[in-house]
Amino acid sequence: MFEKLKELIVNYVDVNPEDITLESRFIDDLGFNSYDFMSLLGDLETELDVTVEESDVVNLHTVGEAIEYLEKLKG
Amino acid sequence: MDKTKIRTLQDLVRESASEFGDRIFLREKNGKEISEKSFRNLYDDSCRLAGYITSKYNGVIHTAVIGGSSYAWIVSYFGTVCGGNGCVPLDAQLPCSDICELLNRADVSIFMYDKKYESMIDEIRKKCPEVKEFISFDKDLPQILSENSPAELPSVSPDALASISYTSGTTGKSKGVMLLNRNLIDNAMCQDNESTSDDVVLSILPIHHIYCFTCDILCSLRYGNQLCINDSMLRIAQNLKLFQPTIIMIVPMIAETIYRQIKTISEANPEIPKSDIAKKIFGERLTTIYSGGAYLRPELQKAYHEMGYQMGQGYGMTECSPRITTADRFDKDCAGDVGIIVNGCQVKIEDGEIMVKSPSVMAGYYKDEVETAKTLTPDGWLRTGDLGYIDGKKLFITGRKKNLIILSNGENVSPEEIENKFAGTDFISELLVYSEDGMITAEIFPNPDYCKDMTDEEIDKLFKDKVLEINKTLTSAKTIHRMRIRDKEFEKTTSKKIIRRQSEHGRIVK
Repeated sequence: MFEKLKELIVNYVDVNPEDITLESRFIDDLGFNSYDFMSLLGDLETELDVTVEESDVVNLHTVGEAIEYLEKLKG
Repeated sequence: MDKTKIRTLQDLVRESASEFGDRIFLREKNGKEISEKSFRNLYDDSCRLAGYITSKYNGVIHTAVIGGSSYAWIVSYFGTVCGGNGCVPLDAQLPCSDICELLNRADVSIFMYDKKYESMIDEIRKKCPEVKEFISFDKDLPQILSENSPAELPSVSPDALASISYTSGTTGKSKGVMLLNRNLIDNAMCQDNESTSDDVVLSILPIHHIYCFTCDILCSLRYGNQLCINDSMLRIAQNLKLFQPTIIMIVPMIAETIYRQIKTISEANPEIPKSDIAKKIFGERLTTIYSGGAYLRPELQKAYHEMGYQMGQGYGMTECSPRITTADRFDKDCAGDVGIIVNGCQVKIEDGEIMVKSPSVMAGYYKDEVETAKTLTPDGWLRTGDLGYIDGKKLFITGRKKNLIILSNGENVSPEEIENKFAGTDFISELLVYSEDGMITAEIFPNPDYCKDMTDEEIDKLFKDKVLEINKTLTSAKTIHRMRIRDKEFEKTTSKKIIRRQSEHGRIVK
């Protein structure tokens, strides 16, 4: 999941994949804005065939939190 | 559509059914399928729900509706107002405690909701004893529609209340804006030839918001547009490709981000024209982009015109249903205005503040005479709280009255006027201008992506150079004297607006 997420992140922001850690914060560290971040989650929905609730997005700050959330959705 | 026949929302739905009949009014995703509803379906279903409500309740009642954009939401709204009742569109992001407070304040009898809110129902029952009925979009509403035939609608006065829309309230308690049938109809009908029945609109903004409600929903009914529902903010990119709209209404941040994507792809592939890249993102058919909700910088507007799009920004507020100006989408000058004043709307400037008088102006705030008297003058002018000026038919905004910085020499400075000068600066992610120790101060949160390989000194220099450049364009009283840089984002409201009074500040740049 981490590798898949890294692959998608670099489509949105100019960052080296090796600089992305589980602790990286999407907005404060990686330079996402809220529209980019929403679109990234939209891509992940398609990739993983899950449905992300918009209301859950506010709780996802770091790469690690996003992975944990998506893994729960995957079941 | 014959405008003279349309005086109420009931008239609008009925006339749209009569003129556009079985043509598709709405398309929305339903699992993996796309479901479609016609203009006739909307009228019939609104009559069914209106008949059901009228048969169960005596006199005028208020309903509340909550959920993302959907056909069920739209039927709930029109089923309410077509029967002469009032509807309270609630913000889908609100926590349960706020929902309960607004249901009580607005005297709501029926709560109509998307299934996402099912878990809140027990608490609402406990806290809101006046709410007598709960209608879910997925179970109860389809049952009501299947069990009731379209009823003959009662006569509704243009003066009947249609909506109580609660403002998001960045300061203090939110206020219930009372919009009458004639207010909303005036706003939907004030311009002509904005679109045709061949147009496809992708509705992206939240439906409880008056900008979306009037410009997407009411105008689609008027012009016979096909309305496609963006089911989630996560899926804008996919839905643009799926529905291939000809018109979209967005906020500047979306326009800004998509343009940045186009620029990045274009830099890597200079042989491909930007207009072709844009088509891959927006779809082949898009012709028109409207922007509202915040200031759109003219350079960005120009960039979209250069890619072949008609683009403009409008200005309005809930209290004015909402349009005060409309985007001049053909205007390629992009002089920094917020559009042309709509027909039938009078605008004047009093002590710098924009004042509006028009048939679209609200009847007042619900059960709040004090705030109503502060906002509406006895002779019917609406105080917008915004500062600006008029040039010909164009309106320009310079800032918010409540944000004015009053300097020790008595001069007034609008922080937004200075902030707008930084718009589009690559290394700045967020910015706030305020007065500190009698000095105009600019504080930034640098763009972490842009500045990731820079030292603090390098960022300081970039910021200082930018401030020097901007100071040259300002009168001496308005120049920036102090700079601060923070390492965390600014604190924001739930609608993502930066709070002007921050509890912490960043370091001072020497």
